[in-house]
Amino acid sequence: MQRVTRPLAVALISAGTLSFEILLVRVFAIEYFYHFAYMAIGVAMLGLGVSGAAVALMPSISRSTAGRWFTVACGLTVVALVVTPTLVLRISLDPTQLIWDPIQWLRLGALYLLLALPFGLGALATTLALTLTTRPGRIYGAGFLGSGVGVAGAVGSLWILSPEHVLALPALLASAGLLVAVLGTRDNTKARILASGMVAVTAVLLALPPWHITVSPYKGLPQVEAYPDARRTADMSSPLGWTVAVEASAFRHAPGLSLAYQGQLPRQTAIFVDGSIAGATASSESAAESEFYDWLPTALPYSIAQPGQVLIVGSSGDTEIRNALAHGVSRITAVELNPDIMRLALTEESLRAENDGQLEWIVADARSYITRTRRSFDLISLAPAAGFGIVAAGVHGLSEDFLHTTDAYTTYLERLTGQGMLAITRWIRTPPRESIRVILTAVEALRQVRPENVTTGLVVARSWGTVTVLVKPAGFTEQEITQLREWATPRLFDLDWFPGIREPGTVFNQLDEPTLFRAAQAAIGGVDSSARFAAGYSFNVKPVGDAQPYPHHFLRLGSLPNLFGEDRGSWLPFAEWGLIALVATLVQSTLLAGLFILMPVVLFRGALLQRRWFTSVGYFGAIGLAYMAAEIAAIQQLSLLLGHPVYAVAVVLVAVRVFSGVGSTLSDRLNSVNTWLIGIALVVLLAVLGLALLPVVHLLQPTPMAVRAGVATLLLAPVALLMGLPFPMGLRLLTAGHRTGIAWAWAANGFASVVAVPLAALIALEIGSPALFFVAAGGYGVATLLSTLPALAGTAEPREYP
Amino acid sequence: MQLASRLSLLVVVICAGVAPLRGQDRSAAAYNERRQAMVDLIERRGVRDSATLSAMRVLPRHEFVPASQRSRAYGDYPLPIGHGQTISQPYIVAYMTEILQPKPGMKLLEIGTGSGYQAAVLAQIGCEVYSVEIFEALATSARQRFDRLALAVTSRHGDGHHGWSDAAPFDAVIVTAAAGYIPPALVAQLKPGGRMVIPVGSVYGVQNLILVEKDPDGNIRTRNLLPVRFVPMLSGIR
Repeated sequence: MQRVTRPLAVALISAGTLSFEILLVRVFAIEYFYHFAYMAIGVAMLGLGVSGAAVALMPSISRSTAGRWFTVACGLTVVALVVTPTLVLRISLDPTQLIWDPIQWLRLGALYLLLALPFGLGALATTLALTLTTRPGRIYGAGFLGSGVGVAGAVGSLWILSPEHVLALPALLASAGLLVAVLGTRDNTKARILASGMVAVTAVLLALPPWHITVSPYKGLPQVEAYPDARRTADMSSPLGWTVAVEASAFRHAPGLSLAYQGQLPRQTAIFVDGSIAGATASSESAAESEFYDWLPTALPYSIAQPGQVLIVGSSGDTEIRNALAHGVSRITAVELNPDIMRLALTEESLRAENDGQLEWIVADARSYITRTRRSFDLISLAPAAGFGIVAAGVHGLSEDFLHTTDAYTTYLERLTGQGMLAITRWIRTPPRESIRVILTAVEALRQVRPENVTTGLVVARSWGTVTVLVKPAGFTEQEITQLREWATPRLFDLDWFPGIREPGTVFNQLDEPTLFRAAQAAIGGVDSSARFAAGYSFNVKPVGDAQPYPHHFLRLGSLPNLFGEDRGSWLPFAEWGLIALVATLVQSTLLAGLFILMPVVLFRGALLQRRWFTSVGYFGAIGLAYMAAEIAAIQQLSLLLGHPVYAVAVVLVAVRVFSGVGSTLSDRLNSVNTWLIGIALVVLLAVLGLALLPVVHLLQPTPMAVRAGVATLLLAPVALLMGLPFPMGLRLLTAGHRTGIAWAWAANGFASVVAVPLAALIALEIGSPALFFVAAGGYGVATLLSTLPALAGTAEPREYP
Repeated sequence: MQLASRLSLLVVVICAGVAPLRGQDRSAAAYNERRQAMVDLIERRGVRDSATLSAMRVLPRHEFVPASQRSRAYGDYPLPIGHGQTISQPYIVAYMTEILQPKPGMKLLEIGTGSGYQAAVLAQIGCEVYSVEIFEALATSARQRFDRLALAVTSRHGDGHHGWSDAAPFDAVIVTAAAGYIPPALVAQLKPGGRMVIPVGSVYGVQNLILVEKDPDGNIRTRNLLPVRFVPMLSGIR
C-alpha cells in the first residue's frame, strides 16, 4: 500500500510547499514590492537544500524509524505552513530602513528563518521517503508532479479567492498529504484522527485565515485610505494582482498636469494594483471638467489632429479614455490585460461610449492584440501607468515589460494609418534615463519602418514631471509643428525636439543639461551616433529588444561598487532598488547556502572534500544551476507569448515540473551508465531553445491564448522530461550509494539551486534570456563531461542506489 | 526676532533645570559638539548659505526627535518621529532652506510640519512661518515644541493640498512631504517673485525635488533639482 500512499503523500506535500512559494511571491508583491519575489524563491531553495544535505548527514536509521519520521515530517510541514504565514505577516519589516536601523536586520533574519521552515520540512519528508525506496525516481517524480499541481492550484485559486484566503491552501494540500501518509501506515487510529483533524482545521483556515496581509506604508493605498472620507469601493483579486478602488475627495491623479491649469480637477476614484497606484477613474458628474484633460501632457497628439481611430495601450482606469472622448475621437480601442481594471473603468461615461460604438474594450495583452488585429489606428497612445515614485525608485527595474522594446515600438508603428502617430508619455527622472531610452528606441523603430522620415518624424515635449515622445512615420509638417507649439506654450510645456530645431529651446522646465535634445539629435543622426550617445551616457539607456525586456533597468552593474563607495547623498539619484535587492539577494543567498548547506557537510563528513567526490560536487552543482537557468529563461521568453509573467510562471512551472516528474519516474528504468546521453540531448535541446524560442514566440503571438499555452507546454515537454533524469540517475551513477557522496550531492545541488535563482535573474537582466538557455546548456554540458569521468578514472564503480 | 528666540531658548534651558544641572550641562555640551560637527559636514557637502547654517548650529535638533532617537539626532539621516513619518535628513533640510533663499521677515508656508524642525530653522532665520500638518498628534506636539522653544511659527492641523489661503500670498512655499502632483492651490498662493520647493513622487526611494519660481510678472518656471528621499504628503486627515 505504501508504494502508492508514500509517493502520493510526497506529491501532496510538494504541492503544498510549491503553492506556498508561488503565493509568497504574490504576498510579497502586495506587502512590499515585486523584487522580493527572488527572496521568496531563494528561501524556498535554501530550505530544500538544507534539508537534503541534513538527511544525507543523518546517521543510518532503520526503515521503520525513517517511516515514522517521514510521517512526522509531513505533520510538521503542515504546522509550519500555518505557523509561518501567521508569524511572517506579523513581522513589520521596513526594507527602506535597513541602512539605518539594525532592528530591521533582525526582522529580516527572522523572516528568512521562518520562511525556510516549511520548505525545509517539506523537503525533509521527500528525502526521508527517498531513503525508504529502492526506486527513487518514483518519489522524485511524485515530488515534481505534485509541485506542478501545486502551482496550478495556487494560480487557479487566485481567480476565486483573495491571496489572504488562498494562503491557507498550501497547508490544506500538505495536510491531505499527511492524511495519505498516515493511512499508508499500519493501523494507527490516533494518528489518523489527528491527521483528519488537521485537514479539517486547514479547510477552516481557507475560509477564516488567521493572518492579515498589510500593505507597505510606502505604497499609495494606505496613504489614500487614510483620507478623511476615503471609502474602498471595490476589492478584487486575480493572479494578475490584487485590485482595489478607493473613493476619496482629496485624491487627485494628474500625471504632469500643466501648472497653468486653473480649473477644477475631476472627482476621481483611485485604482491600486497590489497597493500601488495603477490609475484612476473619474465620476460621471465631473464630465463638465473635461477641459482638465486638455491640460494633461497626454493630450499633446490631439493638438494637431482629431484622430478617428485611437488605440490606448494599458487603460490604467479611464483617464486616457476620457481624454480621447473629450477630444472628439470617434472610435477608441482600449487594451487592458487586467480584467479587474477594465471592470473598474466601466463607468457610466465609458458604458455610454461603449453603447454608442465609440469605445471597445479588449481584455488581452497589447502585444498579442496588436499583432493579430488587422485594423490600423490614427493614434496609438501609451500613458504612464504607475505613479512617479515607483518609477523613480527603480522598483520596476527587474520587471519584464514587452511594451517598450524596439520590437514593440516597430509593431506599433506598423499598425498606424498613413498620417498616424505613436504617443508615449513617461515620468521624467533626474538625471533623465527612461525618457532617453524611449527617444532612442522610438527613433530606432522609426528607422526600421520609415528610414526616409527619421529627420521629420520625431517630437519630444516635456512638462515639469513627464516627457511625451511623438513619432509620426509620415513626418510632421511645419503647420503641425506650429500647432504643437501654440498648444504647448500656454501649458508651460517645453518642446525639446521637433523637426527643424537647431538648438535646445527649454523655456519653462529647466534641466541641468539639455540631455533630451542631445539624445534626440544623436538618435536622428544615425545608428552609430545613437550607439555612441548611449555608450557615453551615465546610465544604460541603450534600446532593448524582446530578448532582454528590461526597459526600466538603467543602472550599469559594473558601477555598483563605485556607487556604494560614494557618500549616500551622492549615490541616491542613481539607486535602482530592484537591482540592488537582486544583488543583495545573491550575496545573501550565497552566504546562507554556504553556511547552512556546505558547512554542515564539511563539518560532519570530514573537514575537506575528499578528492573522489569532486566529480559528484561538480556534477550536481552544474545540474542545479542549469535547471534553474533553463526554468527562468523559459519564464521570461514565454511571458511575451502568454502576455503576463504570472501566466508564464504557471505554464512553465506546471509543464516543467510535471514533465520532469515523468522523467524522474522513468529514470528508474534507465541504466545510469547512459546518463551522458541524456546530458548531450539536453545540451542540444536547450541550445535550440536559446536560438529558436523567441522567433517561435513572435510567430505564435497572433494566435488565441489556448493555442499559445498549448504550444508553450509542448515546446517545454521534451526538455523538461529530460531535465528530470540527471539527478536520480546521477545519484546512482556517481555516489555509488556512499552516504558521504550523497551528502555532497545534495549539498552541491542545493547550493547551486539557491545561488542560481538571483544569478540567473542577473544574467537575464544583463545579457538576456537566450544567453540563459546557453548557460543552462553549458551546465548540462559540464555535468555530462563529469558523468563520464568516474568510469574513465575508475574512482567509483557504477552501482545502483541506494 | 532672532535675538528674542535665542534669549527664549536660553530661558527654556534655565527654567528646565530641575534635573541635576551638572549632568545636563555635560549633555548639552555633548549635543552642541555633535551639532557643530553635523553642520560642518553639511557645509562640506556644499551648503553655503550662512543664515541656514547659523540657524542649524543653534537649534537643538535633539528636541525635535523622540527621546529614544536622541542619541542619533545629529546623524545625517532621517529619523522616525511616529505615525510612519520621519524628520528629514539634516542635509536635505539645509539644502531646501538654502534654495528658498530665506531672509528675515519673509512670509513662508510650510506643508508638512512633522516634528517642526524645518519650520524651526526658518523661524530661527527670522522668517514668518506658517505650517500645516496633516497628523493631529504631530501638529499638537509641534505646536507645544514651538511654544516651549519660543519659536515664531504659526501652525495648524489641516490638509496641505489647499495651502493656507487666509495667510496667502507667500514669499516662499516649502513642501516637506512628497506629493503626487503639484497642487495648483500652492502655485496660486505664491507671490510674484516667489519660490516653491516641492518633492514630487512617493516615498519609496528617490523623488524629484522641483523648484517652482514665479517671476515678477507671474510667469512660472520649474527646475528639477537633486533627487531626495522624503516622507509622503498625505491628503486629508488621518
